[in-house]
Amino acid sequence: MRVEVVMPQMGESVAEGTIIKWHKQPGDAIEKDEILLEISTDKVDSEIPSSHEGKLAEITVEEGKTVDVGTTIAYIETEKDADIESSDNGESEKAEVAEDTAERSEEATAPANGEQIETKGRSGKDFYSPLVRSIAAKENVSQSELESIEGTGIGGRVRKQDLLGYLESRGTKPAARPTKQVQAIKYTGPMENVDVVEMDNIRKSIAKHMRTSLDTSAHVYSVSEVDMSKIVAFREKHKAEFQRKEGFKLTYTPFIADATVRALKDFPRVNASVDMDKGEVLEKRFVNLGMAVAIEDGLIVPVIKGADERSFLGLARETHRLANKARDKELDPDDVQGGTFTITNPGIFGNLYGLPIINQPQLGILGVGAIKKRPVVINDAIAIRSMMYLTLSYDHRVLDGAVGGQFLQRIVQYLEEFDGEGIL
Amino acid sequence: MAEITYIQAISEGLREEMQRDESVFLLGEDIGNYGGAFKVTKGFVEEFGEERVIDTPLAESAIFGMSIGAALQDMRPVAEMQFSDFVSTGFNQLVNNAAKIHYRWGAAVPMTVRMPTGGGVHGGPFHSQNTEAWFFHVPGLKLVAPSNPYDAKGLIKAAIRDKNPVLYFEHKYLYRREKQELSGDDFLVEIGKGRVAREGEDLTVLTYGSMVPTSLEAASHLESRIDVEVIDLRSLMPLDMELIIGSIKKTNKALIVHEDIKTGGIGAELSARITEEAFEWLDGPIRRVASIDTPVPFAPSLEEYFMPNPDKIAAGIQQLWDY
Amino acid sequence: MTQAELSELVKRSEFTPVAGLSAEDCVTLYYYMQLTRTFEMRLASFYRQGKMVGGVYLGTGNEATSVGATYTLEDRDILAPTHRDIGAHFVKGESLRAMALQLLGRAEGPTGGKDNGLHQGNKEINTLGMISHLGAMISVAAGAALASKIKKSGQVAIHFIGDGTSSIGDFHEGLNFASVMELPVVYIIENNQYAYSTPNSKQYACDWIAQRAHGFDMPGIVVDGTDVVEMYRVTKWAVERARRGEGPALIESQTMRMRGHSEHDSADYVPQKVMEKWEDKDPIDILKNYLRDWGVLTDVTREQIDEQIESEVEKAFEYALDAPVPEGPEAANGVYAR
Repeated sequence: MRVEVVMPQMGESVAEGTIIKWHKQPGDAIEKDEILLEISTDKVDSEIPSSHEGKLAEITVEEGKTVDVGTTIAYIETEKDADIESSDNGESEKAEVAEDTAERSEEATAPANGEQIETKGRSGKDFYSPLVRSIAAKENVSQSELESIEGTGIGGRVRKQDLLGYLESRGTKPAARPTKQVQAIKYTGPMENVDVVEMDNIRKSIAKHMRTSLDTSAHVYSVSEVDMSKIVAFREKHKAEFQRKEGFKLTYTPFIADATVRALKDFPRVNASVDMDKGEVLEKRFVNLGMAVAIEDGLIVPVIKGADERSFLGLARETHRLANKARDKELDPDDVQGGTFTITNPGIFGNLYGLPIINQPQLGILGVGAIKKRPVVINDAIAIRSMMYLTLSYDHRVLDGAVGGQFLQRIVQYLEEFDGEGIL
Repeated sequence: MAEITYIQAISEGLREEMQRDESVFLLGEDIGNYGGAFKVTKGFVEEFGEERVIDTPLAESAIFGMSIGAALQDMRPVAEMQFSDFVSTGFNQLVNNAAKIHYRWGAAVPMTVRMPTGGGVHGGPFHSQNTEAWFFHVPGLKLVAPSNPYDAKGLIKAAIRDKNPVLYFEHKYLYRREKQELSGDDFLVEIGKGRVAREGEDLTVLTYGSMVPTSLEAASHLESRIDVEVIDLRSLMPLDMELIIGSIKKTNKALIVHEDIKTGGIGAELSARITEEAFEWLDGPIRRVASIDTPVPFAPSLEEYFMPNPDKIAAGIQQLWDY
Repeated sequence: MTQAELSELVKRSEFTPVAGLSAEDCVTLYYYMQLTRTFEMRLASFYRQGKMVGGVYLGTGNEATSVGATYTLEDRDILAPTHRDIGAHFVKGESLRAMALQLLGRAEGPTGGKDNGLHQGNKEINTLGMISHLGAMISVAAGAALASKIKKSGQVAIHFIGDGTSSIGDFHEGLNFASVMELPVVYIIENNQYAYSTPNSKQYACDWIAQRAHGFDMPGIVVDGTDVVEMYRVTKWAVERARRGEGPALIESQTMRMRGHSEHDSADYVPQKVMEKWEDKDPIDILKNYLRDWGVLTDVTREQIDEQIESEVEKAFEYALDAPVPEGPEAANGVYAR
């Protein structure tokens, strides 16, 4: 039989995806779980394995096209019968129930229990439940926005969870509220000697998120200097053995991550988000630490879940694992969601410091500068120390200079007072 | 603490109330020396004497009439229907007399009617019915339906102490199947208060009596996919609307499950009340899983088809969740 | 009028007590019977003047039965009357004012306007409010008697039953139960010959309803229900027997409903001859003559009593007519006892 291949939903808030590359062409045989195509969404790029064994019969969406989640993008011809086609438990149970109903509906006089109730008239995609209507009204979701949401209910109906997912991805700012759009100035000059490079999904997504962040948060910055000499010495002493034992390099990142997590636990207000509509600051009792990773064409921020529950070694391993996954474009949607604070590393290219943009809906981001040896005055004597600049960008809507400054100083303190005893 | 069955819990509750209050007495068919058709009152006549454990003639109307008369003289009668099905021959006394006296002339009628209820025991059309809906429509009566030994004991005691006629629907199927450890303390379960039998976020099952354990089983089958909340109503009249509406506002989907037949059952009213009070909170239709609209059939295969079971309830949950 | 006021009017010396009734008792019985008649005639004219809410069901011809039987009870005893027993309510202690308020559906009345007719009960004087489903109160009265038996309080219950009610299943259940349990309850059938329009010949096949008592193994007695002294005597015997723990009794009072089932009913289905025969047996006339013959009550003093009754009834209705009707929202209150 012919089975559909649909654009998968890569993350609860993702509504559409772009086909990057078809790995098979019509007529090609394909194994179950063999890579069929690559797609890109505004969250991640992914390779999609085939759900069935058979032959790729038809491709309905070409490379480079962007379609809604759930859209049929290809057909696979299989040799199996329809009734054993589905391996999904929920599906098969539904099939059983439907069969049950067919039996019972013959007995018209006595409506059976557990029967499948058919919703007559308006249904599926066109029907919005009272709850969906009331949430939409409260959150200023327009009718056209509602219609744009991909429903996961029967017949594509927008369920509660679909709308809530949509709102989460949309952020707290109601999209329906008209905002003054600054007309971007475009280049209108001659096109000779101009190379036109198409922006890919990730680029577009970064562009949108960066702009949104600046429109949302009231960015302010504090900069501080850290004496990293102890950590530099520690790393020098242990890096060879670490590499041998763990199989990857000991970088400065876990040291900074560890100090940051500890400081976040001291200042829960920084490890938070804000809901301006409700007038609430949501302080998280867990730390999910985002680590910006530069990749080939852009930047992605995998998240170390439960960073506050990990040891130094645990942080080091997770950082390494996620960075690798990011560079190999193998991050799952889940890997890039749920961050509560982010660290980014403008120093990686040797720069002294940078002023990063907050990763929404977080309230702060730490920029790590390059470690450089500089002469510093210690007890009125000049000494050569390994120095590093830290910059903190934070959201002045919620965090005042006092909190931001103290938080940053706490990171400095933890780094300078570093005592490597037993951490490896 | 000793583990006791649902039926023992009823006996204990009755015994404790009779020991506590001399005005409490029992009347019903075969409840004395024989100890009742289900042995709820076994040993009672020896302990409390024939004047407080009265074997009556076969006369349901008179059993209720006598109860009303005694209650009007400040006694607290507990009348036993041998099977709740037989209540129909005493119907008038409950719906026109007991239920209306306080409204009409202000006298309290503190009587309890024990109603051994329900199917799943292959009793056929006249020993298996769920009769609560017949009385649900009658202002002046209170209706309770325990699903476990704790509630069985707490509610029989609360029913006896209540100043109103209370119909106590004890489910025969649960009698010896439900067991629980109970302390010997004197506790009551407040009439009018439901209970969250299982907390969940995705969908609310509203149920009572025998369908509470059945619904819990269905919910646990679906655990990995759907986080079901199960509300044990316990009190059918009055309903704990605060609890019910609160749960609907959380999960936004309601499935009503009862062993009684579907048409005109408690579920119909529940559905209407939820629509009236929480329409804007609904993310799907209110649905019911109930017995089919026939008399209760006798043969096990027929009865199985007739009644809800965990599979049917699970299917109902799944369909509503998918909606 | 109070018993003391009535006693003032009695000439004692010429009277030999009958059935344990003194001359004062007889005058008191007259007072209640005449009060019942006067009160009811006022209701009949109110009905025709459009002052009544709902129907009016009168007990004309029934006064001796209601009053005579109830007069046997002590204050603590239990009375379960039916809808033609205004006299029984009065004897048991219900006030004229309360009765007028009740029948006019006023807020201050015993049911606060929530029920009509003689449906009120009163815990203070231990009357049980009837329901329209005749027969239902038979076992309720037995239950009240059962409470007395369990509590060993010595209370006796009287319940009035109509001839029509004797046909309903509850009659069998209740009497059987009361007899099996030997309860202190006395059932009085007010056999007024018609159940609405249905004559006794279509109601039962036996000669007397009281015959059925034998099947329940209780005494069954037929009494001339127009003779209050006889009614009192027989009932007194049954009540005392019940009080001693010897069980229930069934008394059939032969009387006549001298008006229609309700005031809208002209009762033209009753043959003229039958009505005339019973008119000669008006219970109030019988007692009046009896008291005159014995010299207990002269016509002059009797008229004094009648005038006093007129004025009492007048006052009660004056008050009730002016009394407020219940507020609409009160309809929502009182379904459950708290």
